[in-house]
Amino acid sequence: MTASVIEPTLTVPQAASAISVRSLWKVFGPNADRIVGSPEADLSRAALLESTGCVAAVRDVSFDVLPGEVFVVMGLSGSGKSTLVRCLTRLIEPTAGSVLLNGEDVLTASPARLRELRRTAFSMVFQHFGLLPHRKVIDNIAYSLEINGVKKDARYARANEVIELVGLHGYANHYPEQLSGGMQQRVGLARALAVDPQVMFLDEPFSALDPLIRRDMQAEVIRLHHDLGKTMVFITHDLSEAMKLGDRIAIMRDGAVVQMGTPEELVASPADDYVADFIRDIPKSHVLTVRAIARPLQPGEDSTGPEIDVTTIVRDATPVIIGARRPVKVIENGVLVGFVTSDDVLRLIGSDGVDGP
Amino acid sequence: MKKLAMRQVGIVSVFAAVGLMVAACGGGVNSAASSAAPAATAAASAAASAAASEAAPAADCGDWGVAMHAWVGYTASAQVLTNVAKSLGCNITQTTLDEGGVTYDAMEAGSVDVIIEDWGGGRWQEWVDRGAIQDVGSNGNIGLIGMFVPQWMADKYPDITDSANLNKYSDLFKTSESGDKGAWYEGPPGYTTIGEKIIAANKLNYKIISTGSEAALIELFTAASKNNTAALGYFYEPQNFLAKVPLARINFPANDWTDAEKASGLTDYPKTDLQKLATAKLMESGSPFATLVKNFSWTNADQNAVALDIESGMTPEEAAQKWIDANPDKVAAWTAG
Amino acid sequence: MTTVATVKGTLRKRSVRIGLVVLAWIVLAFVLRGLNTLVLPTSENTPFTSVLRQAAASIRGNRTQSGAFIYFFNPIRAFVESFIEVIRAVISLPAGNNIIPLVGWLGVVAIIGFIVYATSNWRTSLLAMGLMFLCGVLGMWTFTMDTLAMTLGAVILSLAVGLPLGVWAGLSDRVLAVLRPGLDLAQILPTLVYLAPLALFFLIGTAAATIATMIYSIPIAIRITSHAIRSLNAGPVEAGVSMGSTRWQLLTKVQLPMAKHTIALGVNQTMMAALSFVVIAALIGAPGLGKPVVAALIIRDVGDGVVAGLAVVFLAIMLDRATTAAVARTGTFVHESGRARTRRRIGLGAAFVAMVVAIVLSRYELWAAVFPPNLVMGDTIASATSAASEWITTNLYFLTTGFREFVTVGFLNPLETMLADAPWYLTIIMISLIGALIGGRKAAITSFVLLALIVLTGLWNDTMVTLAQVLIATVIVMLVGVAVGVLVGRSRRVERWMKPILDAGQTLPAFVYLVPVLALFGPTRFAAIACGFFYAAPIVVRVVADGVRDVPSSMVEAATAAGSTKAQIITKVQLPASKRSLMLGANQGLIFVLAVVVIGGFVGAGGLGYLVIVGQSKPELQGKGLAAGLAILFLGVVLDRIAQAGAGRRGRGDAA
Repeated sequence: MTASVIEPTLTVPQAASAISVRSLWKVFGPNADRIVGSPEADLSRAALLESTGCVAAVRDVSFDVLPGEVFVVMGLSGSGKSTLVRCLTRLIEPTAGSVLLNGEDVLTASPARLRELRRTAFSMVFQHFGLLPHRKVIDNIAYSLEINGVKKDARYARANEVIELVGLHGYANHYPEQLSGGMQQRVGLARALAVDPQVMFLDEPFSALDPLIRRDMQAEVIRLHHDLGKTMVFITHDLSEAMKLGDRIAIMRDGAVVQMGTPEELVASPADDYVADFIRDIPKSHVLTVRAIARPLQPGEDSTGPEIDVTTIVRDATPVIIGARRPVKVIENGVLVGFVTSDDVLRLIGSDGVDGP
Repeated sequence: MKKLAMRQVGIVSVFAAVGLMVAACGGGVNSAASSAAPAATAAASAAASAAASEAAPAADCGDWGVAMHAWVGYTASAQVLTNVAKSLGCNITQTTLDEGGVTYDAMEAGSVDVIIEDWGGGRWQEWVDRGAIQDVGSNGNIGLIGMFVPQWMADKYPDITDSANLNKYSDLFKTSESGDKGAWYEGPPGYTTIGEKIIAANKLNYKIISTGSEAALIELFTAASKNNTAALGYFYEPQNFLAKVPLARINFPANDWTDAEKASGLTDYPKTDLQKLATAKLMESGSPFATLVKNFSWTNADQNAVALDIESGMTPEEAAQKWIDANPDKVAAWTAG
Repeated sequence: MTTVATVKGTLRKRSVRIGLVVLAWIVLAFVLRGLNTLVLPTSENTPFTSVLRQAAASIRGNRTQSGAFIYFFNPIRAFVESFIEVIRAVISLPAGNNIIPLVGWLGVVAIIGFIVYATSNWRTSLLAMGLMFLCGVLGMWTFTMDTLAMTLGAVILSLAVGLPLGVWAGLSDRVLAVLRPGLDLAQILPTLVYLAPLALFFLIGTAAATIATMIYSIPIAIRITSHAIRSLNAGPVEAGVSMGSTRWQLLTKVQLPMAKHTIALGVNQTMMAALSFVVIAALIGAPGLGKPVVAALIIRDVGDGVVAGLAVVFLAIMLDRATTAAVARTGTFVHESGRARTRRRIGLGAAFVAMVVAIVLSRYELWAAVFPPNLVMGDTIASATSAASEWITTNLYFLTTGFREFVTVGFLNPLETMLADAPWYLTIIMISLIGALIGGRKAAITSFVLLALIVLTGLWNDTMVTLAQVLIATVIVMLVGVAVGVLVGRSRRVERWMKPILDAGQTLPAFVYLVPVLALFGPTRFAAIACGFFYAAPIVVRVVADGVRDVPSSMVEAATAAGSTKAQIITKVQLPASKRSLMLGANQGLIFVLAVVVIGGFVGAGGLGYLVIVGQSKPELQGKGLAAGLAILFLGVVLDRIAQAGAGRRGRGDAA
């Protein structure tokens, strides 16, 4: 393990966040609302089921998502991540807690207000696409606008814009069953983008796709995020996908968040064996920045090497470091924070696979 | 798409409606019919052939329903009535129904107006009391129900026609249906039957086997006469079948019909004047059909003649028309107000 | 292996116990023979039936005065009747002195052809028109049109009630829970039973017949519609909610369009049910093909019966194929491309013009108005059929009679002796015991209570006579059904060969084959058993075949690899693995047989069916007929509960 431990960036001012979730609970079972706040809430999943017949699918989850951020919730099946995302939009009613969207409490919104939020403020992309089989691509994409009373010309114009945006040109009049899985999920994406939402929720959007198509679609999301800067909450069970897309990642287990942080933070300092076990197969050099391996200059080393920025991923910095044949300066905001040599890089790469529990 | 599907249904129905409206313009075949174009009528209704030309179509006769029951004699009477009524310009619908309550209910409901031959002896009283049905009197036929055996049995066992000896011969009538008793083939469900009472009153060692139909009985007796097998079954007159296959009637001790109390221990079927029943609606309408129903009356021989023609392959319409053509005076008497 | 052995062990134990009960029953029934059999002469009433009779009489008497009639039953009757009459005025019933209704035969054929073409394709359209033409050739044109009008009217009204209720039950668990007992009961209740009570309230005629038909077909519409809504793919529905649809938007823009296919299937089922019932409803004055069938049944004219039956079959095939083809079009949500659509529009236009021409012709030209008599071959077919049946009854007498005597003497009589000639309490206790062994305490209590109620009606003995016939018929159906079902389930070729037969068997109204069966077997209890067999066999074959086909092929492969013979595979793998289907088949078989054995009252089978029929024609026995209907219902529930418990499932599948 590398030495430098970095504090997880948990505390962000609430007013600035796009979404702010506090102490969110979802308990399934008889008298579920009595569990939260009682001593039973602290029981393990099995013990809770044994004593009350209830299952806590989401337990005491709190996090904030910054505007324009891609926030990934990662966990194995049954960890509660899909329930969590449905609680945020109240497709499942949470048992307790609060969800603020730009400061507005979603959980206390009236049915009418909730519908309005769903129509305009957030949108969702589903694992199995959830397209309406009886509607053409363009009518699927325009659905939200349609139910919100937008006139046909206006909604088709908007739908056509989004169709171009997600690369569905020429498919407007196809039906979902005529499209491949990847194309269908493009429709799903387009549908979610059509209302120009403040937040997009993506529930394992690519897990039903072939690996190659999945990679294309991940690239597509990165591109769209780059172009449109949407705030996204992205659910996945695939760590490499999480690492690739997430600005920050929350790892869930048995309904609770075990660790939250940037990919780098997770790899650099897993909170427990569970997380460590998860990230074992992730090549550290693909995630960590040179900050993780920067060190003071040793006696006798050359201090005239080239400079690289502290936020550079190790993998990307490797050609420079190896080509320099001397320690490379690591600079943060014009200030020198340390040096890196090819030996340091090799040690990091070598620790992959050797390291572990 | 829902909308598309709805539109499709809509288009189809609009099309159909437009089509109908286009087609509905003008009277077509129907107006030809009411002006009595000979070709049209002849083809359209075989029944209306001869009589149609002589009787002026009376528009005031109206639409009436005639109940049809399942025995040939009834068919003969009802068809003759229908043919004559049609020649008067009446529009007659025949409806096949079970005898009795069902038909009375149908009359009360208005879907049937006439029963031309009812054997029921007053079971319609409830409907008469409510004013739905009127008893229009005898139709001239006299009915006699009874239990019969094929003639060969009466020849071979001369004393079998006396009910007192039936138990002696009960072994002859055993079948897999009747077990260790003799089989007593009862009339069909709709018919007037008192077999159980006769068996009980005469202490007979027989078991009732219900038959579904008159035809089953005919087949039973035909086979029994042909193959010299035993059969004891329900039958009745008038029925031309008796002329073709002779049967012997079993004589049960006579009833005392003067006393209703005693008659409740029925031991044999009575002779019955067969009745005409009609709805009050018809009889009070003043329609020529009401007059026809009221006057309709013929003999057992008349009925048997028509029934025989029907059984030997004529359609009921043809057989009825044949009799009508042969008996213009009787028909004229019926229609005379 | 050990679990299999244990399961087998308990099974054997249970079957041994049932066997012991049956043995004790036989012995006791023999010993106590003739005691407390509760035989009641047909012409006698019990206190209960007298009460029913008086109630019926007072209902009849109140028809013109009581508020319930003036403000409820009579308006419904008037509405339904005028609705049907409007349809009949178009296709079947000439007004006044007219020769033809609004449209003559050619016009009707053209309208049907156009509608079928517009909703499916030209091939089906041609088939539909051909079948209608054949109905004319049979000489049954007007009857066919009456039946068609009745069926369409009843279906439209049934859907108007059934679809909204079905959607509601699909959306709300509470509504489904309220409707479910009624839906379950409707599946058990033999059709013949509610004709009489309905006639009491709605009088004899089209209205009562239509309402009876609706009572039969509405539960089917509700069941399938609610199933259609409930079985929707959850994904698009959730997506619809997540995008902020209101409940109404969700229903009309997401759920209903997606459920369209299954709902259309429900329309097809509703229509077939309505058609089969309209034929039976001739007993309470429904116009149409039922009339000649009933008439042929009563005067036992095989030829006429078969001709009318053929027309029913043609009409059934026409309606089935037409709706199935229309349903198939709803199977895909993809609409055809522009050019195909243009071509279709041109086709539709041409078809429309042809239809209008045909309608006009049918109103002005006699040959197109009235079905040409020289084309009618009904009489020829009738006499040919009569001759054939005559030949069979004369020459194959030894076969039909021999088999009949074999079953009657060997099985039916002993069973009837055991059920009907034993003391009533013995029979009740034994049936409840068997119910307990098969279905536990609940089944036992249900059986006991309902059987005791039958005793109270006073019709115990007749019920046992009916029960004996039902049981024998069910055993025969199961023997044949399992044998044929295994064949069909194992071989695609046999399946292809049998499919049309099974289809026809299932669409054919039960009433139709009473006539030929009567000719073959005479007025006997066995005739009723044979009817039950013909009615129930297709469904049993189908259920068993499905069960055998659904046995995982890996199991069969494993058994084959282990060197099993074909017979071993069938008896040791496929049948045990499809045990659930077999039990389901037995349950369905029982219920279907009960429905028809009751109709067997028409063919001399005695028992409850006979009482129902007698009750309809003899006012003094009307109470008894109504009571017999109740007894049939109770018997049906008892049989269903025990068989269902045997099949090891609670509640019936929605789509069954």
